[in-house]
Amino acid sequence: MTFVSMMPPQVQIRRQTASGRIALALFVLAVIGLAAMPWWAKTGTIRMVLELCCYVAVAQMWNLLAGYAGLVSVGQQAFIGAAGYALFVLAQTFGVNPFLAVFLSLLVPLVLAVPCYLLLHRLDGPYFAIGTWVVAEVFRLVASNLSWVNAGAGMSLSVMKDYSAFQRNIAMSLFCALLILVSIGGSYRFLRSRFGLALIAMRDNPVAAASQGVNVRRLRFMIYVAAAVGCGLVGAVYFMAQLRINPPSAFDSMWSNIAIFIVMVGGIASIEGVLIGTLIYFVADRYFGEYGASYFVVLGVMTVLVALYARTGIWGMISARWDAPWFPIRRHLVLERNKP
Amino acid sequence: MQWFDALIQGVLLGGMYAQYALGMALMFGVMKIVNVSHGDLVILLSLVGISLAASLGLGPFTVMAALVPLAVGLGWLLQRTILNRVVGDDPLPSLIATFGLSLALQNLMMQIWSANSRSLPGGGIESRSIQIGGIYIGLLPVIVLVFAIALTWGLDMMLKRTRFGRALRAAASDVEAASMTGINPRTVYASATAIAVGILGFAAVFQSLRSTVAPADGGAQLIYAFEAVIIGGMGSVWGAFLGAMVLGVAQAVGFRIDPGLGVLAGHIVFLLVLATRPQGLFGRA
Repeated sequence: MTFVSMMPPQVQIRRQTASGRIALALFVLAVIGLAAMPWWAKTGTIRMVLELCCYVAVAQMWNLLAGYAGLVSVGQQAFIGAAGYALFVLAQTFGVNPFLAVFLSLLVPLVLAVPCYLLLHRLDGPYFAIGTWVVAEVFRLVASNLSWVNAGAGMSLSVMKDYSAFQRNIAMSLFCALLILVSIGGSYRFLRSRFGLALIAMRDNPVAAASQGVNVRRLRFMIYVAAAVGCGLVGAVYFMAQLRINPPSAFDSMWSNIAIFIVMVGGIASIEGVLIGTLIYFVADRYFGEYGASYFVVLGVMTVLVALYARTGIWGMISARWDAPWFPIRRHLVLERNKP
Repeated sequence: MQWFDALIQGVLLGGMYAQYALGMALMFGVMKIVNVSHGDLVILLSLVGISLAASLGLGPFTVMAALVPLAVGLGWLLQRTILNRVVGDDPLPSLIATFGLSLALQNLMMQIWSANSRSLPGGGIESRSIQIGGIYIGLLPVIVLVFAIALTWGLDMMLKRTRFGRALRAAASDVEAASMTGINPRTVYASATAIAVGILGFAAVFQSLRSTVAPADGGAQLIYAFEAVIIGGMGSVWGAFLGAMVLGVAQAVGFRIDPGLGVLAGHIVFLLVLATRPQGLFGRA
């Protein structure tokens, strides 16, 4: 009797790259820097950074939906506004500590997302998108008619007066750090997990992924709910800083415009694209925002051009030339020589 | 009596929505794409019509005669320059392209016509009404409904009876098989969009006669068209027409209950249909 010994080849899976390590270190530094803002930035700067962090988070949520799960939504403002309103009701009407209420208010998008998805997933691809818009409109109209959220007149968060400016700055800075940590850090962790592997398989080909045992329906549902909660966090934090909320501002379709612009121009289905896109949007908004309508014409035309000629966006063009991802999620198989 | 009146007004309102919905049903049926700028095109055509009427002193039906060919040309151009590049299995490119177009169009109109609401002077027909058994029925809404029925019938006949209609249906069911039999899908697509936007030429005149238009109104028209198509059931033009009727009645009844509930009642009926009969009220499962 002879045995053929089949030694498995010595392999190693390499997942991190040099560029990834640098980016990860910068990311940690950025989160610490955000949390420490009260000691180095003025209130105006903190508010501006808060807005920037909200854009990053909303765009990344849209990216998870459209870029990975294949669910194009133009109605994420539904959950932004719902959580914003939940915060105001909890803190202002029921007297819950507003900083605690930010977290409690996330339950509202979590609970609302489930029936929304169960209804909307029946709609075919492009119709799904318009369906999400209808849901956002329903939320806006309901808020405009509900007397206990003060209907169309909206609410103010006057309980914030109980806290000093410095205390509020600390809260805003910590929420900035949290937004980035959850949206970027959380997505990165998720994409590196086995769910991420399934998600990327699904992005490339849903049918093939399903045949490999990926539960496409459940994964899509999970992503939809997670994106709703993520957008909810943005809403709660954003309107806590705004101190005012009313139906048109809470359920403003501007959020979708911004998220789509950022992700498409930056580069869909990549975290790097979201960061690049946000930076472009933010700089453009600072310098050209004063031109109002004509500035939005340019944003619109740019979105059309990207959809027509450069679907992978700026990051797609960069990564085609230089293979140096900031948030590497690929697995490299490294064969090791058998040592005697 | 009050509810019967709401029903009548709802059906008449549905005539308006049917004119938005036909084009959307046609484009989705043939190309599986949704043009997000559908409503903005209605507004653009309305504003062009209003400016034409004001500068040349044209009556509403002369404006219509000018707008419809313009709309057909616009649709053809839209398909040739943008949509033909984004048609495909992946819904993302077409959605994003038309979404960007919608954003650009809306703000461009804001630049040209300012954010004010305008309307088209109708030379009296917009305020004339007929009284039947205690119910006042506006003459204009009746004309709108008659046009809607005629357009739906015409589109249905074209799809069923003409050579071009057969080419459209062939391209809709299997584009590769259709091109093997000598149909050029790009031309078929361009004609479908030209017809879809052409119908919006009629809708634009009626919309600006019936009420006012402002550059930011396009989103609402897109949503109504979409709801009508889904309520009625995808895949047939008569489905879209009947869906528009249901939507119009829902809004009119909701409006009678409380003026704040009109549009919301339409959305709720849409969501109920989606929950209980996702293939649409008149669609086949």
